[in-house]
Amino acid sequence: MSEVNKSRRDFLAFSGRAGMATLVAQAVGINLGIVDVVRAESGGKLDPFRFAIISDAHLYSMDNHKFDQQLIDAVNKVNAMSPKPDFVLFGGDVAQNGTEDQLVKGKEILSKLEMPMHIIPGEHDWYLDMGDAWRGLFGDETWSFNHKGVHFIGLNSILVRDFWTEAGLSPKERMTVMEMLESPIPGPWGVHEQQLEWLANDVKDLGPGTPIVIFTHSPLWDYYPRWNFQTSDAPEIREILSKFDNVMSYHGHVHQTLYNRIGNMSSVAAMSTSWPWPYPPVELAFPETRMNRADPSIATDGQGVQIIDLNNEFQGLVQYKPFEDSLTPFMQDGFTV
Amino acid sequence: MTTSTAIRRAVGIGGVAAAAIVASGVFARAPFTEEELAQQMDALYESVQLGYDMWHGTKPSMATNGLACGNCHPDTAASNPQTFPKYMTMYGKVVQWPEMVNWCIENPQLGERIDPASDDMTALAAYAMYLHRGIPIQPGLASQQTSGVVVEHGTGFKREPTGLGVDSRDHTPTPN
Repeated sequence: MSEVNKSRRDFLAFSGRAGMATLVAQAVGINLGIVDVVRAESGGKLDPFRFAIISDAHLYSMDNHKFDQQLIDAVNKVNAMSPKPDFVLFGGDVAQNGTEDQLVKGKEILSKLEMPMHIIPGEHDWYLDMGDAWRGLFGDETWSFNHKGVHFIGLNSILVRDFWTEAGLSPKERMTVMEMLESPIPGPWGVHEQQLEWLANDVKDLGPGTPIVIFTHSPLWDYYPRWNFQTSDAPEIREILSKFDNVMSYHGHVHQTLYNRIGNMSSVAAMSTSWPWPYPPVELAFPETRMNRADPSIATDGQGVQIIDLNNEFQGLVQYKPFEDSLTPFMQDGFTV
Repeated sequence: MTTSTAIRRAVGIGGVAAAAIVASGVFARAPFTEEELAQQMDALYESVQLGYDMWHGTKPSMATNGLACGNCHPDTAASNPQTFPKYMTMYGKVVQWPEMVNWCIENPQLGERIDPASDDMTALAAYAMYLHRGIPIQPGLASQQTSGVVVEHGTGFKREPTGLGVDSRDHTPTPN
């Protein structure tokens, strides 16, 4: 059996078990949508806990813009979860045009979260002032911390080669170029050398059994480079993390439900709170993790938040919690083989 | 039955004149020259280019909330021009693609609709249809998730290179 088939079989088997958990949860009145159970073979036990992910708010400057309310809805959804997540990861793109007022508005809304938040930047947050306002509001974009036995890492994955200096572009022109998903100008982005060195140093003393969660804006695999559904130095990141038994990667940017597994790394995407993106013209290894086609007449269809429950063996139960009923039966009820 | 009778029967009343033209075997004009064809394609690219720009937010009247077509439809993905005319639940009837565009402009984008007969709407259609070239025309509902169209690099149509940054054709994806 090929490696892909094997991991697929494992994936389906665990999803089946997750399905049972869903039925129990539904019996007590909680509507859970299950996408995936990510498995780890962690040597050490850890304290079970849950964390939530909110991503891609894309706030505009106008007052009472609909995306403001959608982010507020996401915050309320997370605050209402029972049990509450220990903390929230925000997956980047607080702002649409990178302006300080948009970032401030995002921080204000996110400050209503009743638990701590850790955040990494997206390209929409960054390229007006090269992260100055973002750093001032949210701090370092590269970080790690330990929580109940799990090592969490956040990296800034939206760095591109300088295309603006020689061309004499203004900051606003640079931002406009970066705002377009299919922009032919900036090319593929990544974390670049400095963060790779930081990462290697950050994990050098950790044993192979350490549970690792890595968090970036873009996926750590080549999904669809044209839309920067990729991180150019993801192979180097995966190499640095290859010594670990199991690594979970969570990311934003793609505005859709998505799962993949490469080597020791499972990869899960976050839904956005702003708008859903169509799936690009490539085959998925796990097509059953695609959400339903969003209905444009329902303004919040295809968007939502997600919650991850880690058990004491570093198995993660990933549940998408959409604003509307966006999930296929596979994701709603689990899957048995 | 003679050929001319057959043609007359096929076209019915008023077909006599038409049959005479067909039967004469004379073209109205010679085929276009290479140069003329190039000029016509350039005119199309000009329209496609205008559509591309509008798709990405250059016409302010199309939105009051900052949203452009490209927010949700990168590379015109899931705009599905090849599936129109089709029934739309928002209208309760079968509509043309430009009406779908106007629905998006008036609802998610809170903008002013574009005259379906205008050069601007033609340009939006030119861009979306150009990127969907080669895809079978399939009027009717796209109830399943639709994939984006394949765009190899650049803007997906003939346009002067910007000379900026890195074109996606320079990027070789790393095998996973």
